[in-house]
Amino acid sequence: MKREEILNAVKAYHSAAFPAKPFNREKDTVRYAGRVFDEKELVALVDSSLDFWLTEGRYAESFSEKIADFLGVDNVILTNSGSSSNLLALSALTSKKLGKKRLVPGDEVITVAAGFPATVTPILQNGLIPVFVDVSLPTYNIDVEALKKAVSPKTRAIFIAHTLGNPFDLDAVMKVVKEHDLWLIEDNCDAFGSLYKGKYTGTFGHIATISFYPAPHITTGEGGAVVTNNEQLAQIVRSFRDWGRDCYCGGGENNTCGKRFTQQFGTLPAGYDHKYVYSEIGYNLKMTDMQAAIGSAQMDKLEMFGNRRRENFRRYQRIFSAYEKYFILTEATPGAEPSWFTYVLSVRENAPFTRNELVTFLNERRIETRNIFAGNILRQPAFIDRPCRVEGKLPVTDFIMNNTFFLGTFPGMTEEMFAYVEDCVAEFMGKHLK
Amino acid sequence: MIVKKYRSEVVSVENPIPDIRVVTLRPLEKAYKYNPGQFLHLALDEFDPARPWPESRCFSMQSSPDQDTIKITFATKGKFTERMARELAPGKVICVKLPYGDLFSSGQDEGKAVFVAGGTGITPFLSLFTSAAFAAYKEPRLYFGVRNPSHHLYSAELEKAAAVNPSFRRTLLNEEKDGRLDIQKIFTENGPAAVYFISGPPAMIRSFKARLAADGVPPGNIRTDDWE
Repeated sequence: MKREEILNAVKAYHSAAFPAKPFNREKDTVRYAGRVFDEKELVALVDSSLDFWLTEGRYAESFSEKIADFLGVDNVILTNSGSSSNLLALSALTSKKLGKKRLVPGDEVITVAAGFPATVTPILQNGLIPVFVDVSLPTYNIDVEALKKAVSPKTRAIFIAHTLGNPFDLDAVMKVVKEHDLWLIEDNCDAFGSLYKGKYTGTFGHIATISFYPAPHITTGEGGAVVTNNEQLAQIVRSFRDWGRDCYCGGGENNTCGKRFTQQFGTLPAGYDHKYVYSEIGYNLKMTDMQAAIGSAQMDKLEMFGNRRRENFRRYQRIFSAYEKYFILTEATPGAEPSWFTYVLSVRENAPFTRNELVTFLNERRIETRNIFAGNILRQPAFIDRPCRVEGKLPVTDFIMNNTFFLGTFPGMTEEMFAYVEDCVAEFMGKHLK
Repeated sequence: MIVKKYRSEVVSVENPIPDIRVVTLRPLEKAYKYNPGQFLHLALDEFDPARPWPESRCFSMQSSPDQDTIKITFATKGKFTERMARELAPGKVICVKLPYGDLFSSGQDEGKAVFVAGGTGITPFLSLFTSAAFAAYKEPRLYFGVRNPSHHLYSAELEKAAAVNPSFRRTLLNEEKDGRLDIQKIFTENGPAAVYFISGPPAMIRSFKARLAADGVPPGNIRTDDWE
């Protein structure tokens, strides 16, 4: 049987197995996120499996190139998740290869408590001290005045996310980075395709991360990437990703440096095989070629997905602006054009209902909602009594923990779903505003 | 920098002296992207994306990354390079993948840099010398040994280098007349704090590296472009 015949059969299977279905108000769920794909992803996945190369191969090359070309960056290192990417990005900054610039245990890294644990845990896992700064409404991003106050002689890096696709104030943050000679890691996991003053997020800091989990902008199931324009950081990240090895040959390659048996490292004998020289205490966090095959096909849709997310955000904004007296509506950071991860909003404290009452009502009607991840991460069981510093107080973070939630803007949202959400919101508001 | 595969067309093949050929390539689909001092893998057989990369050999880019084309030099020394000599001709389409290597890690080598090259070993240096990045180097020095004046194929590039960086000083050695490069003399002139870049025949690299190390040059300050 020829490969082409198999792939044609896959196309036919896709049409039969995943037909477009109208939304049924009585039984269907309005999800907050979901996989959006067509026959191209399925064909690429099967094509890759027929290669049976399995580890990074031609599809990984294609996927990396597409990301590099889209963002205009020099280096893309594919990983098995956005969280792994965060771990790699921060761990890379501890490498001895960076000399005096390396982070050492006890150094401080500024971050926020209103976010996802994967931005904070790598700081603790590397023996560094997270410094928590409050965030601002209505952008849900770091409060830049608090950030300026948080910098101490021990501060060496800033590691923050573009919250739910909304870029943080990059002008202000980059100014702090330059003034204090800090590292900046952009957690771009929820913002792939967002722009700040016409430039893609993930291209401002020293290093940035992307997630390809099903909820973010494109998916490979599990998967992620680290991007950087710094050649040395790229090599270090690759080393941490690949067991800490010094050699940077790709899968199936040998001696691409031409010095495999002629160098000397550590106290190893001269000429020890470079393939088995380890310069970092690393991990194995690589992506498979099957995942990359899906990602490569998804990359062709990224721009369209981003436009749909923006459109969906506007649709929600129209629904909730009718009730602005009771909700704090999200605003894009000035100068930003977010590719929204979700539609986030907060119930005002004077509203005649609570966030929990509203989300309970919506979820009972099969409209999925999510909180902003960990709320105030310092109140999570795993984070109590961990070494950290808090700059001032975190009242907005606590407000978000109590009053904020989000709905889906993913490209799978349809007009019928929006009409249903609008009706349900009107029903809830009608009950509470009598 | 991300390694990409480039279908490329041979623009020209020059044969200025016996067994040495200079090949110029142009990309057919996308512009080449690399840093000075990096190298490429060149394959003669057709590349099938579904199969592993075919047999290839490594060559330093001697052109500057600012240029649209890539220039490489090769000596016919084995079966693969003999095939290259036979098969590479203007119009031939081949596949190269690049970039590899980190001879000049950006931003760290702009102090006192001493370049020591024997013969065609100068090629990785030329990509730096003729690029805009070379302007940032402070009083760079080149010691370049060639068998005789007919083997000095790089006058034009070195003239361009002097224009890019007016503080660039060059010592050209005609080995048949003046003898070989003397690493002890080079060290005396430049001291232990300089960063030494060495490229040329393996025996030369080995002996120069050992001598500099014995004279107290830190290992990180001796950078070699050596090949097995």
